[in-house]
Amino acid sequence: MAELVAESLVHVYRDGGVRALDGVDLRIGPGERVALVGQNGSGKTTLVRHLNGLLRPTEGRVTVDGADATTMTVAQLASRVGLVFQDPDRQIFAGSVRAEVEFGPRNLGRSGADLRAGVAEALDAVGLAGDVGTNPYDLGQSRRKLLALASVLAMRTQVLVLDEPTTGQDARGVERVRAVIESVAAEGRSVVAISHDMRFVAETFERVVVMRAGRIVLDGPPTSVFARDGWDALSSTYLEPPLAATVGDRLSLGSTPTDETLIDALARSA
Amino acid sequence: MAGRDRLTDPPPGADRGVPDFVGRPGPSAYHRLNPLTKATLATVTAIAAVVLGGLIGPIVLVTAAVIVPAVVGRVLGRLIRTALLLALPIAVSAFLVNLFFFPGAETVLLRVGPITATAEGLGFALEILVRILAISGAVTLFYLTTRPADLVVDLERRGVSPRVGFVANASVQTVPAMVERAAQITAAQRARGMDTEGSIWRRIRGVVPIVGPVILGSIAEVEERTMALEARGFTRPGRRTLLWSPPDSGLESLARWALLAALLALIVGRVTGIWA
Amino acid sequence: MTISLEGVGYRYAGATRPSLLEIDLDLADGVVIGLAGPSEAGKTTLCLVASGLAPRTVGGQIRGRITLDGEDIDAWPMHRLSQRIGIGFQNPSTQLSQVAATVFEEVAFGPMNLGVARDEVVARTWAALDSLGIDGLAERDPQRLSGGPQQLVAIAGLLAMRPEHLVLDEPTAQLDPAGTRLVAEAIARLAADGASILVAEQKTDLLAEVASTVIVLAEGRIALRGPASQVLADPRLVELGVAEPAAIRLRRAAVAAGVDDDRLKGALRG
Repeated sequence: MAELVAESLVHVYRDGGVRALDGVDLRIGPGERVALVGQNGSGKTTLVRHLNGLLRPTEGRVTVDGADATTMTVAQLASRVGLVFQDPDRQIFAGSVRAEVEFGPRNLGRSGADLRAGVAEALDAVGLAGDVGTNPYDLGQSRRKLLALASVLAMRTQVLVLDEPTTGQDARGVERVRAVIESVAAEGRSVVAISHDMRFVAETFERVVVMRAGRIVLDGPPTSVFARDGWDALSSTYLEPPLAATVGDRLSLGSTPTDETLIDALARSA
Repeated sequence: MAGRDRLTDPPPGADRGVPDFVGRPGPSAYHRLNPLTKATLATVTAIAAVVLGGLIGPIVLVTAAVIVPAVVGRVLGRLIRTALLLALPIAVSAFLVNLFFFPGAETVLLRVGPITATAEGLGFALEILVRILAISGAVTLFYLTTRPADLVVDLERRGVSPRVGFVANASVQTVPAMVERAAQITAAQRARGMDTEGSIWRRIRGVVPIVGPVILGSIAEVEERTMALEARGFTRPGRRTLLWSPPDSGLESLARWALLAALLALIVGRVTGIWA
Repeated sequence: MTISLEGVGYRYAGATRPSLLEIDLDLADGVVIGLAGPSEAGKTTLCLVASGLAPRTVGGQIRGRITLDGEDIDAWPMHRLSQRIGIGFQNPSTQLSQVAATVFEEVAFGPMNLGVARDEVVARTWAALDSLGIDGLAERDPQRLSGGPQQLVAIAGLLAMRPEHLVLDEPTAQLDPAGTRLVAEAIARLAADGASILVAEQKTDLLAEVASTVIVLAEGRIALRGPASQVLADPRLVELGVAEPAAIRLRRAAVAAGVDDDRLKGALRG
């Protein structure tokens, strides 16, 4: 079970001197589902790249299970923190779905039956079990994105980090992603996802971290982040609360970030 | 489209022509010369530097054709830095080789261990040096005072196919784009445990997961770009309308021919031995 | 001008199955048609076929007839078609010419290629910028803009060709919420001005806002067709793999839980 901690993280990009992270403190425990939201330039992408060592802090530190991430190489951190990038085409290189998914776990030293089992499990989770031999470029964009997810899932890391997992996905793809996040968390593994789909965030994550200008401005469950008090912080990042939240507020039913909670509130107040 | 006329009628009171930021004239009289004129000067200077004999000729050439325009263009400082940087390796080695190893030299200047610097060697070395600096200076002057896009547009106005110019312009952009793409792909593969540190063999194997997506992605991108270009009439045969092109004048045209004629005369003279 | 597709089918080069089958569709003047469907249903293919890029640039085999005001366009070259039908794509930056230093020159690229008189080029460019409200961006470097404004520049570039019809293939798929809103508002404006548009989108809320007719594609065929309000409320949307608009999904859940009442209806309307 991993605990991921960022302490007073500061990151200044060398060219341009942009202070992308301005003192970020974040603690993610095992089994937590955390959404990271904020507009472009808020620092969320920079933060996420510190979690697996692709970026190193200018000040502060990141610890994985108590160990300082700077003592580990990216390849070593990859065994604990898996990061799925937004664009599957900037990753996919193999001639078959199976080979693509095997790449990650092979790098981590898995082989034989253990490797095959991990790959099968990952492909099953994203619905690509029937396409093992298919060339990834014969899959549509949506399913290639699921393939990229599977290729990191197969690494069975304690922490799974996703960069915009639902952008460009159709309805079925979004459901798959949601199911994967829920089953990964149910196993006690943590999930961190950058997303700008507020309804998806409200329905899938138990914790929302809002960033602006390199800092965390709000950190809490959807019921508090999407409550009326949180709207100012949200709108400063050009994000809108989900429909259910605005309707619930209009009907004075308290904080109802999801369709389900709104309907519960309606039923109770009927 | 229905209502099209409304969409494409300019709003009332707005009579805007080509905006002034399109094709802004250069900051000095030299910059404002037509790109072809500047290109002609650079080419003629470079060739003349080689053809001219002696030391005085090339020095006068450099002064007239490189230094003076650089002063007019207010780029002398940058020119000296860039041209020297460009020419330094060749210049230094050529100078030293000739200074110490000039064949058939007799007048000794300096002895450094087993090798000798000679006066004849020095003379020749200086001649070579001036020529190298002349060529480097001429090319750098052109590069510092001319926007590549302007030269491309000027050529197009004179009849070169727009596709040539497009390819020239667009290809310059491909390299940085590919480098950026390769960097992103490397990050993604490292995040999947690919080792970028470690044995040579490992690193060689590590090339495939990077080169693959770089090439495939670039090909896919070319397809998309081609479609977008087609959708904007790029494949229509014939000339296209230019918003602006660098101005030219009869005087400049005359000057270009005069330069070429002078170069020709110089070459003929040298070859036939009229001037040694 | 009306573009008519009669019994149109299309198969990509080297594909074993057709991507489109028996498509009968009229794209008429002044009508905005929304195109929905799961990924790989054929939305992009239909856009490419309607604009003529398939089979001209993309290759492949086409069946059936496509006519413009009754005239068969089978033999028309792409540059002739591009003046009647414009097509925009998902990725804003790959649509840029890369040879324009400013947005003005980028938008002027199309009319310049057509060889029309310079005054005409300039007039069309300003008109296109104005109709999307981006004349303020005229001096900016198009490659430095963020996704939303870049997409608007791409669409302006199409409008400057003065097409009678616009085809937009998921213009907001890769944009963040701010960019999506920018493009959605621009499309709504064009629609209000009487533009003829075929817009493919996963975001059915966007289609609800701008489209008068909606078509749902599934496996290369038209599965649903009708007025937007009717199709987007059709209960078969979800099983066809299309996400319902947020308000409809909420009401459907409320009805199922027995709490759909006037309060909810009122709050959704407000």
